[in-house]
Amino acid sequence: MHIIKLNKQIKKRFIFLLIIFICFSSSIFLISYSLKDQIAYFVEPTDLKDMNELENKYLRVGGLVKENSLKFIDGSWVFEVIDQNKNSINVIFSKTLPNLVEEKKGIIVEGKFINSTFIAEIVLAKHDENYMPQSAIDKLKEEGKWRGD
Amino acid sequence: MFAITPNTLSTFMNSISKYIVLLSLLLIGIAAFLIIFIENDYYQGISFKIMFIHVPAAWLSLAIFLSMGITSIIGLIFKSPTAFTIARSLSPIGLIMSIIVLVTGSIWGNLTWGAYWVWDARLTSMLILAFIYLGHILLLYSFEHFQKADFAASILAIIGMVNLPIVKFSVDWWTTLHQGSSVLRIGGPSMTNDYLITLLVSFLGIFMLTMYWFSNIFYIIIEKRKIERSKLLND
Repeated sequence: MHIIKLNKQIKKRFIFLLIIFICFSSSIFLISYSLKDQIAYFVEPTDLKDMNELENKYLRVGGLVKENSLKFIDGSWVFEVIDQNKNSINVIFSKTLPNLVEEKKGIIVEGKFINSTFIAEIVLAKHDENYMPQSAIDKLKEEGKWRGD
Repeated sequence: MFAITPNTLSTFMNSISKYIVLLSLLLIGIAAFLIIFIENDYYQGISFKIMFIHVPAAWLSLAIFLSMGITSIIGLIFKSPTAFTIARSLSPIGLIMSIIVLVTGSIWGNLTWGAYWVWDARLTSMLILAFIYLGHILLLYSFEHFQKADFAASILAIIGMVNLPIVKFSVDWWTTLHQGSSVLRIGGPSMTNDYLITLLVSFLGIFMLTMYWFSNIFYIIIEKRKIERSKLLND
């Protein structure tokens, strides 16, 4: 008799906790789903469709620095940011670049489009999740398996 | 877990704690040796070596919160004082781990990204996790009776578990400045074996150290309660 009563109570508490958890997690899910454009830290050049609408709008664009595009002209850095779909934007940045900004490596630029050129105010280097020593890369290059730069 | 009293668990952990701390010091020593002598990353140079503290601390801060959540559920459903006491003693360790993650992460971020802090999904959700830990500790010590405190704090721990998948999968669900997962990901680890072994040894060392620390906190809580109870009986 006692055990049956205890089981009932346990069941009640379990259902109570389950309801709390489901309500809370679904509310968090709905909030984050409706705010997904705000939570995303950057957009890719492919996402930028209507250039006229974007003029003078503060945004972050991320991608890779295009090969042979990084140049230092008249005291400012000029380069192209390209994404996987080969869409790119032209960027001008007049401050010091972070150390890890290199061609064919990840980058995030923050600023505005003025006359279809992106005037960056902040530039961040974005590295990926692959870690490798130089010796492993040399070995892969010898075997012809290296697909990076 | 329901049959184990806090006292027996405390005595048991106290008896094995000296072996755990020796093992942890040994593993941390090996990890430090490996960290010094492995090659630098081809792209990030020496700065990537901070990963061997950052990543174990991040895993532990998530794992500790998960254990707190599970023990809180068990505590609430089965009214188990052992489960509540486990959650209570894990919480400060989790807070320290999440602070380590945030600090080492900012140092690493400044060296590689060029910014100490950005408000992307991974960094923000990790900061929220640290605040939930802080809130959990504050709740635990803002009641006169520890049973009431355990009840309130365990509700927070259960609700806070919603944040765990957000921290873990934020880098997959949204675009972030933070890089994706390197080890626990689809397609296997994205680092060479020498780095992976170093990371695992470092993780095991820090994990053992947290276990030692946990057993100490657990022991102190139980001994304090014994003293308080004997005081009440004497009055």
